[in-house]
Amino acid sequence: MPPWLHPRAAYVHVPFCAHHCGYCDFAVTAGQDQLMTLYVEALGQELATLSEPCPVDTVFIGGGTPTYLTPPLLERLLAEIRRWLPLHASGEWSIEATPESLDAGKVALLADHGVTRVSIGAQSFHPQLLQRLERIHNPDDVPRAVECVRERIAQVSLDLIFGVPGQSVDDWDRDLRRALRLQPEHVATYGLTYEKGTPLWKRWQGGQVQPLGEDDELAMYCRAMDVLSAAGFEHYEVSNFARPGRRCRHNQVYWANHAYFGFGVGAARYVQGRREMNTRDTHGYIRRVFAGEKPLLQAEELPPEERARETLALQLRRADGVRRGEFQEQTGFDLDALAGAKLRQHAELGLIEDNGACVRLTRSGKCVADALMAELL
Amino acid sequence: MTTPTKNIRNFSIIAHIDHGKSTLADQFLLKTGAITQREFRAQVLDDMDLERERGITIQMHPVTIYYEFQGQRYELNLIDTPGHVDFSYEVSRSLAACEGAILLVDAFQGVQAQTVANFYLALEHDLTIVPVLNKIDMPIARTDDVLAEMQQALNVEPAEALRASGKAGIGIDEVLQAIVARIPPPPGKPDDPLRALVFNSHFDSYKGVVVYARVMDGTMRKVQKIRLMSGGTELEVIDMGQFRPTMTACNELGAGQVGYFMAQIKNIDDVRIGDTVTDALAPAAAPLEGYKEPQPMVFSGLYPVNNRDFEALREALAKLRLNDSSFTYMPENSEGLGFGFRCGFLGLLHREIIQQRLERDSELELVQTAPNTTYEILTRKGEIIVIDSPQKVPDAGQVEEFREPFVKISFLLPSENIGDLMQMCAERRGIFIRTEYLSPKRAILVYEMPLSEIIFDLYDKLKSVTHGYGTMDYEILGYRPADLVRLDILVAGKRVDALSIIVHRADADRRGRKLVKKLRGEIDRHLFEIAIQAAIGSRIIARETIAPIKKNVTAKCYGGDITRKRKLWAKQAAGKKRMKQVGQVEIPQEAFLAVLESDEG
Repeated sequence: MPPWLHPRAAYVHVPFCAHHCGYCDFAVTAGQDQLMTLYVEALGQELATLSEPCPVDTVFIGGGTPTYLTPPLLERLLAEIRRWLPLHASGEWSIEATPESLDAGKVALLADHGVTRVSIGAQSFHPQLLQRLERIHNPDDVPRAVECVRERIAQVSLDLIFGVPGQSVDDWDRDLRRALRLQPEHVATYGLTYEKGTPLWKRWQGGQVQPLGEDDELAMYCRAMDVLSAAGFEHYEVSNFARPGRRCRHNQVYWANHAYFGFGVGAARYVQGRREMNTRDTHGYIRRVFAGEKPLLQAEELPPEERARETLALQLRRADGVRRGEFQEQTGFDLDALAGAKLRQHAELGLIEDNGACVRLTRSGKCVADALMAELL
Repeated sequence: MTTPTKNIRNFSIIAHIDHGKSTLADQFLLKTGAITQREFRAQVLDDMDLERERGITIQMHPVTIYYEFQGQRYELNLIDTPGHVDFSYEVSRSLAACEGAILLVDAFQGVQAQTVANFYLALEHDLTIVPVLNKIDMPIARTDDVLAEMQQALNVEPAEALRASGKAGIGIDEVLQAIVARIPPPPGKPDDPLRALVFNSHFDSYKGVVVYARVMDGTMRKVQKIRLMSGGTELEVIDMGQFRPTMTACNELGAGQVGYFMAQIKNIDDVRIGDTVTDALAPAAAPLEGYKEPQPMVFSGLYPVNNRDFEALREALAKLRLNDSSFTYMPENSEGLGFGFRCGFLGLLHREIIQQRLERDSELELVQTAPNTTYEILTRKGEIIVIDSPQKVPDAGQVEEFREPFVKISFLLPSENIGDLMQMCAERRGIFIRTEYLSPKRAILVYEMPLSEIIFDLYDKLKSVTHGYGTMDYEILGYRPADLVRLDILVAGKRVDALSIIVHRADADRRGRKLVKKLRGEIDRHLFEIAIQAAIGSRIIARETIAPIKKNVTAKCYGGDITRKRKLWAKQAAGKKRMKQVGQVEIPQEAFLAVLESDEG
């Protein structure tokens, strides 16, 4: 079965957080820790709907803050995942963590169950910017957490956010260099976005927050490319950088538009060409799983051409770009018949490069990736 | 059963917009039992939703009511008139079918520009005028002042004016009595051969064309063979009747009566408004004095956003024209916009109404270009050509003389705003004719001005300068020579023909600079730099640049929530829906109207 139809990857969501940061638009539950036990139980039941164990190459536990779970619940979760989603011997198992939620005990638990990679939400090393983002950790928590992980687990990734109101390009530069000193295998740099409905979005609408200008955001994005490339990182996806051989295999499944399982509140899955997303409401999720119902929020199945366009837009985000042969095999569409005119136009503008076998974004193309994708859809 | 001529009164109500004409008409219907209190709703005569919404009447709908006075039964035919300046031709049409007119004036707003214009129109038609002061029950009514204004501006004796309130039903009987007592009965000769004046028509999808006619002489009968005198077409009257106020069939209409008839006419273009209907077997010797159909003076291009909607647009336009013969359309082709139609309107309001109807009745996404007036060009070869689109202006070398329509425009406004208005008129190439004071506080200001200077935003400007108290009316004087040029707009090096405008040479630089600046704000940034230039011939007179998008990437992928990401992209793409692609540039609908916007800033 081809990997774009049959999943070899799984995402598991844990919504609990010590605090809901103002910019965050993930399925998050704060201040309802009494639900944790029920939730892990429900998650186990949802996994059990697989009927039989499904071997996978990658697992990604995201949140929320998965490491916010108490050690016994964390252990329970890891055990359920191992039971239903046995990982290939050379597989990748990632988990997201906040710096303050990690300690030696939890790291040992993760390592013992086979977690291979920890993605730490550092976001910034400036106390003021952390405050503005409503993060509850201190800059010093990050090196402590990295050190803690290193004791047992090989791969560390750091998440950093740029474009925070009040942030200067120099601030950002210092964040990048501070992160590099911790020698992560992987760095993800996210431009701050104002997602509709979040407290940050409301403050922006109300005029209390002024987003950074485009010039600053551009300068920051370029700085990340310059600094991280100089440090030996590959810019393998518009917002992801990795040392050679250390790319996040799980995230590459998304950008390839391949299939993946999803479990937990708000989790998305893509199985046999059908996209589904679970409810974002933790109470509702628990209730529905216990009632034996599918906890779905939405589902969609795109017609072949739209699916092909989606594949094109996603794959273009990768440094490896879109390979004509693979694209044809995966989507059934000829790349040039589908989008030749647009691609030529973008190539003339220097936004993409095309060597005949493969189409990929140039540096300036990466800067306007979303505008470019919108034109391709 | 026909009513004897001496017991018929045919009249119109002439008024400035919003002076309460429709409400008064509704009171007539209620008072005479034509409608019941239950049926009484505001503005029965305004058929179309849009008219009701905007409180204005465009389509004329005659209505027949019966009124008992001094032991006699009278048939009163009210022929409605539109109240807006765009439709003065239609007012004229209505008046030709009447012997009298109620001159309705708002007791607070007083004499306004259209009051004066319509009053003189009525005098031209030799009508008996019954002045009525409306809304006298309003606490802010300034009855004596307004009576004085009427005397000053219209030579109406205060003692002649009746006082009424359409809303409260005050003085309605007095007005009805005055109609009978003051307006003369129709002068028609019942025994002469049939002569009936066609003053309007409408298209009914079941009945075909319904013709509105006023019988002048003789009698029109059902199954009668009739002849339309202008073209000689012979038809048979299939059905006929009167609006009481709904269509009520009858077997004949006698001299002086007003009603409708159907004669298997399929297309309203087959009925000429102003034509004379006569008996085919016993024809009259000469037709009645008709009148000219209004010529559209304001044109703009209407284009479907999707070129494949062209035929659907044609159908929608054809449907609109079924009931509005003053609106015209012709296919045209624009390099930038593809295939569309050049549409002609009586004026700006007319244009706006047509556009709203189109959008309401069809699901079409439309782009419309800025309106322009017609122009006359005398070529070097001595030919005169009429231009309805800037795209059709020949090369400068072929133009001997460029001519534009001039109007006589009258403003009625508070005297304190005269200075501001005169300045505004001077900026618009206005030629001062005269001022006349109605009272120390209110004056009439008369100018001659190019029509092109008033179709954009003059009305809005007048309202803003006078805080809403100024009104205007205009009449076309004819074409006059002027030093005009075509100003072209180039977007990314490509001339966008639909953005071309015709301007006075002295204004070209200023207009060009403003236009490119405005367009810079209307066109979204693209992935590449876009130059916007204004040019006269090959000479560039202004330039603005739209910088390319530099950064547009939001990175986070929500735990594999690709649907959300795709929707974000789709949203960016959807913003382009109402846009027209010209070369590589997406131009929004608003940009094509940029030229319309106020000159401020």
